[in-house]
Parts: sequence; structure tokens; C-alpha cells
Amino acid sequence: MSQAAELTTDQTLSSPEVKKSTPLRGFWRKFRKQRLALVSGVFIVLLLGVAAIGPAIAPYTIDQPDYANVLQGPSLEHLAGTDTYGRDIFSRIIGGARISLFVGLLSVFLGAVVGTFLGLISGFYGKWLDSIIMRICDVLFAFPGILLAIGIIAILGPGLENVIIAVAIFNIPSFARIVRSSAISIKSTVYVEATKSIGAVNARIIWKHIFPGTVSSIIVYITMRIGTAILTAASLSFLGLGAQPPSPEWGAMLSNGRDYLNTAPHVTIFPGLAIFITVLAFNLLGDGLRDALDPKIKE
Amino acid sequence: MKKTILVLFLFILAIALIGCSNSSSGNTDSGKDNGKSQKIVKKEGKDITIAVADNFISMDPHDTNDTLSYSAQKTMMEGLVGFDKDMNVIPVLAKEYSANDEATEFTFKLQEGVKFHDGTPFNAEAVKANLDRLSDPDSKLIRASLFQIIKETKVVDEYTVKVTLSEPFGAMINTFAHPAGMMISPKALKEYGNDVSQHPVGTGPYVFKEWQPGDYLTATKNEEYWNTSGDEVDSITFKPTPENGSRIAMLQTGEADFIYPVPTEQAKSINNKDGIVVENSPSIVTRYMAMNTMKKPFNDIKVRQAINYAINKEAFINVVVNGYAEPMDSVIAPNTKFYSKQDPYKFDLEKAKKLMKEAGYEEGFETTLWGGNNSASTKAMEFIQQQLDQINIKVEVVPMESGTLSDSIWSVENPDDAKLEMYYGGWSPSTGDADWGIRPLLGGKSAFPPNSYNTAYYDEEEVNNLIEDALATADEGKREQAYADAQKKLWDDVPWAFLAVDDTIFGKKNYLEGIYLLPDGSLSLENMKIVQ
Repeated sequence: MSQAAELTTDQTLSSPEVKKSTPLRGFWRKFRKQRLALVSGVFIVLLLGVAAIGPAIAPYTIDQPDYANVLQGPSLEHLAGTDTYGRDIFSRIIGGARISLFVGLLSVFLGAVVGTFLGLISGFYGKWLDSIIMRICDVLFAFPGILLAIGIIAILGPGLENVIIAVAIFNIPSFARIVRSSAISIKSTVYVEATKSIGAVNARIIWKHIFPGTVSSIIVYITMRIGTAILTAASLSFLGLGAQPPSPEWGAMLSNGRDYLNTAPHVTIFPGLAIFITVLAFNLLGDGLRDALDPKIKE
Repeated sequence: MKKTILVLFLFILAIALIGCSNSSSGNTDSGKDNGKSQKIVKKEGKDITIAVADNFISMDPHDTNDTLSYSAQKTMMEGLVGFDKDMNVIPVLAKEYSANDEATEFTFKLQEGVKFHDGTPFNAEAVKANLDRLSDPDSKLIRASLFQIIKETKVVDEYTVKVTLSEPFGAMINTFAHPAGMMISPKALKEYGNDVSQHPVGTGPYVFKEWQPGDYLTATKNEEYWNTSGDEVDSITFKPTPENGSRIAMLQTGEADFIYPVPTEQAKSINNKDGIVVENSPSIVTRYMAMNTMKKPFNDIKVRQAINYAINKEAFINVVVNGYAEPMDSVIAPNTKFYSKQDPYKFDLEKAKKLMKEAGYEEGFETTLWGGNNSASTKAMEFIQQQLDQINIKVEVVPMESGTLSDSIWSVENPDDAKLEMYYGGWSPSTGDADWGIRPLLGGKSAFPPNSYNTAYYDEEEVNNLIEDALATADEGKREQAYADAQKKLWDDVPWAFLAVDDTIFGKKNYLEGIYLLPDGSLSLENMKIVQ
């Protein structure tokens, strides 16, 4: 009882600091309530950890064939069974996490950087520059994402680097659009007018005053897009345009198992589950972040 | 909303787990009984449907280069000679045939009283019309190259034809047996010109009815067929069905009575169920990996030998085609004419490592392997990559789409510019003769890409001379000797990594009899019967 009393006094003592609510604290308070997003976030952190140390924790070597044990179903020895060459699927999924996450994160990040830049100048300067950038975006939007990526790969040639470039390119217009609309609304706020009136140069206004206002929507959109990016990269690898054998990229593993759908479904199910759960986690996290960062949603 | 997601997630997980448990139980019961115990299932009607993997290209045998189109054509047309189940040449429209010793003159005595489907009589004039069309260099027919060697076709009497060649060619009788040599009604040739590819008229047991490209092709029974045959089937419909799964489903449900090829992964699991019988037999299709013998390090025979010793062919066959193949033991398959068995390069890592050391490549090297991008060939290439890794050869696998592949290999004019290092490929010599199994693939400079398929850029005078000797005579004994020597030399020179000879594999309902695949992968159904 007395302890509880102490605690309350503690709280009241430190309360002046807590109440000085910074944006970060406010975000955390809201985000904590999104249970599903929180779980997803934890899962993604774990996944990043697995990707980082990857092969070290895998029970088998990723590329070690074992022709005496091909297409074995899941067992205690091989948690997710073995593939066509007798390689341990569980180990390969762990190894593939690094590739899939790397491709997903990097491609979205690249697309976000370029898209944000284009969106900022487009929204800030307006007029013909805005028209040109937005019309180009319209053209890119007119293609279904995967088709655009296949087209780009057809020009650049297959391979993981080119998949990253392709996915980055089709992410650019979405980021440009979102950032542009934020930039336009921030541009006409009083504080930006004020900065202008004291003679700040355009670059400074964009970087110091408009860009920070767009960050929250960029972050939300990045998390939302990573899921899609991983899925697209996996699709491209499935079609043989991305990761080349013997890479344990998840999409490539799926493609490897599609001949055995009827006879050995575990070869496709486990990499499929890995893609599914990862993409779901990123999307749920994105949802949670959006709710937490959106100032319009009341607590 | 969130609950729904969770429930959905658990649901999918459950399905996944059920799927897995099925798979483990499915593995155990395959291949237990041998199929004879199965009851013969009932067939309604006498119309047969055959599901095949690709679309038909043409119904003009003189202008066809895919085995599948030939399969359909062979139900409607026949040649002077043909092949039996083991690729031996047998008389068909010719009663008998003979050749002179120099292999320059071939005489055919024809069957009498045979009529084409349009009523035109089959006689020496009809044969001449067909062979003249085939040997006309201006015809631009795909198969003209096989018959261009014909100088003259002479009508001796109504049922005797004499064909004279411009130079000796010992393998000519096999060329006549090639499906490209099938006879089309001269009336149809005149009437349709090159559109005869849409209107096939032959002498075969079935008459062409309708062809919707990409959808189906139907032929009905020839009531006036000259030869005896099972007259149990009223019509045959071919349905191109590229998707492996749908082809199998068609057979299981009875929508198709016969399918080929059966994907090797599923062959065991569908066999002996629902009245389905899966049969496989050795083909003449060889699978090999060519090494560019003009390029370092493959110009060193020790490296090529080491590669052959480093690849476990039994494992290759198990992994890549699920056991439906045999290891290669010569450059041509056992069912090819003049095949002679060689001593296999048995899997021996120590020996391979030693050879690599002797060649100065103990540390290995890096190289690229080209091939098609279908799943079977990617699987094979990935397997080779794993095997060669054991002797420190780091292989980059480059699966290419067929257009890109032929561009990369067959657009190279100067052999020194060839980027090709290793190439995984297959070959089916449709004449069934050693000549077509060796000359286009390893027959010296004249076979280098872009002219032909010598992807190993192999040019050895001894072999070239032997090939020439074998062609310059019709004497079977001399030809046999020359090809035996050539095969020995090629085996010892290892321009390829010798891998496997495929099986042909088809699935049928157990009421069908007398239908099978020839070793070259084409279909034979002249004697098809429905047994109830």
C-alpha cells in the first residue's frame, strides 16, 4: 500500500516533464494502443535480427545439397522439410530473409528519396515544373506495378540489383504524389509565409520547414510500401527475372517448388508463409503507424 | 476488423498444415502395386481425346519442325517407309525398297490400291509430286534441307519410283522414314498450295476434320483405310493443354483418354488410380552439357574429363527427372541406329580433383552455364552448379528465354567471338540414325553455330573423316564400323558432360491399347483400340 503511495508521489513529482508532450511521446502513447501493430513491429524487429545474423542460426548450410533426402516432408530433423536438392527449407527461409528484407527496404527507400525530392520541388514551385513531374507520374501510374517492373527488367536484364531498381522506380510516383500534396498545404501555412517574409532562400524553406511536415506521411507510406515491394520482388524472382539460383530468395524458392504442388506442397507452403507473414506484418505496422501519426484521429 | 484478420490468418495456417500432412502421407503409398490389379474403367462412346503440352504449328509435314505437329499428322498421313517401336525402318506405303552400294540410288516398290482421302490414287506420280516439292530449293519449306540432296525422282512404272541423289548419302533411307517424308495428296497440293498446312490430305487411318489452332484438332476414322488396323475408334481430338496440372486433371476426370508428357514429378502419384496407367520407355533424346572446346579452360581435355567425373549422373536423374531417364553411355542414345556402348565416366570426386590439379586448376575457376529457362532445365543447371562446386568450379547459371538463348548462341558469326562457355541442351535425332545424332552436334567446322548445333565448337579431323566415310556408303557394316569408331573417339575426347537419355512418358486410361510414344517422342496410334 505504501509502495503504491510512493509510486504515485513519484509520478506527481516527475509529472511536469511528462506533460511536456513531445511529438515522439505523443506518437508512442497512441501507437502503444495498436496491439496488432505492436506485435507486427516486434515481429519485424525479430526478423531484422534473423536477417542480420542469418546463416549463423540456421540449422543447416543454406546451399548444402543432400541427394539422399530430397523432398522430405516436415519433420523434427527438417522443420520445414527439404527441397528438390535435399536442402533444408527452414534454413533457406532464414537465409532468404536477408535478401527479401534487403530488397524490400532498399527499393522502397530509394523510391522514397527520389519521390520525396520530386514531390517537394513539384509542390513548392508549382506551375510547369509541377505539371511535368505530375504528368510523368501519371504515365508511370498508368502501368500496373508488376508490368512496369517486368518492363524495366526487360530493359536492364534479370538480377536482384535490377529488381531493386525496378521496384524503386515504380515507387517513385506514389511518394511524389503524397509529398507534393503535403508540400502544397504546408506551403500556404502562416509559418512558411513568415519564413518567406524574413527572406529565407527556397532551399532552406523546403528543407527546414516543409520537409519535416511531410515526414510522418512518408514514414507511414514507407512501411505500407515495403510489404508490396517484398511481394513484387518475390513475384519477379518467381518469374525467373529476379534472384538467380541457388539464391534462397523466397520467390525463387516458391518457383522452385511449383512443380511439386501436388506431391510435395511443403516446398511452396513454407516460403509462401514467410512472404505472407512478413508482408502482413509490414502492412499491419503501417496501419498502426498511420493511426498513431495522424493528428486528425483523436485519442 | 483486427479479429477478422487474426481468424483469417489462423485459417490459412491451418490449411497449410493440412496440406503438409497430406504430403507426407502421399509420399508413402506411391508405387506400391503395379497397376494390373486395377479394374478397367468404362469408356462412353468411341471418341478419343488426347491432351498434349503445346500448340500444333502446321499440318504440312514438309514444313514442320516440331515433333508434336508430326504426332497429329501421323494419324492422317503416311510415308514410303516409317519407324517401328524401336526406331527400326519398316515399309509403309512402299512394299519394298532397295539402294545401290554407293548410296546414290534408291528404288521403291509401292503398295497398290491405296487412295488418298480425297480419292486421288496413290502411285508413282504422287510420290514424284511430293519429292519434287520437298527437293525444290526454292520451296522455302523447313524440311527441304533434308531432301535437297535428291537430284531426280523418276517414275519407272505406275508402282515403282527411283530416286537419284546428287552425292552418296548412307542415311537416306532413314530420312525417307522421317515424318517429313510423308505423302500429301497431289490434288490437295495443287488445290491449296502452301495452305495445305491447314488442309492435310493423306492416306492415313484418320481423316482430317477440323482444326481450331490453340483449341483443338479433330480427325475421324478413315472408312476406306488400305491397311488393317483397329477400327474401334470413331474420332481423335487433340487438345493442347500447356498447364501440367490441367493435363493431369483432364486424365483423372476422363475428359482426356491419353496425355503426354506426364510431368515426372507427378507420374508416380497418379499411376494406378482412377484407371490411369503411366508408362515410360527409353527415348532417343539425349541431355548433355556442351563445353566450348575452343575456350580456356575447356580446351584442356583434363578439365573436361574432371567435369565428367565430378557429376553424379544417378543423382542427376533422380533430382532432375525423378528417375525417368538412363545415364548416357555414348554420344547417341541406345535406340539410335549404329549406337555403340562406351565405358561410362563413373562419379569419382578424387579422380576429378586429381585431374583438375594436373590441369593446373586446383583452385578451380569461374564460368557460366547457359540453358533454357523452363523449370526442368533450370533444375538441371542448378544441379550441375552444385556438383561442379565440389571441384571448385564456380558456375553462374544463366537461364534464358528461348529467343534470347538462340540469339546468344546462333547469332555468332565468328567462332572466336563466341561468349558461350558451357551450354545445357538436349537433342532428339528424328531420323533415328547416328548421322543426325552426331553430325549436326559435333561434326566439325561446318556444324559450328550459326549453321548448326555444334555448341562445343568441337572440330576433330578424325571424327570428321569418319562421319564422311559413313555417309559415303550404303553398306551397313561399313557404316556401323565408322560410327563405332567415331563414338569411341568422341567419348574419349569428352566435348560434353554426358548426362542422361530421357524417358518418354505418357498417361492413359487403361481401356486404351495399341497407343504409344516412339523413342523420338512422337505418337503412334495407328493400331489404337478401346478394350472394355
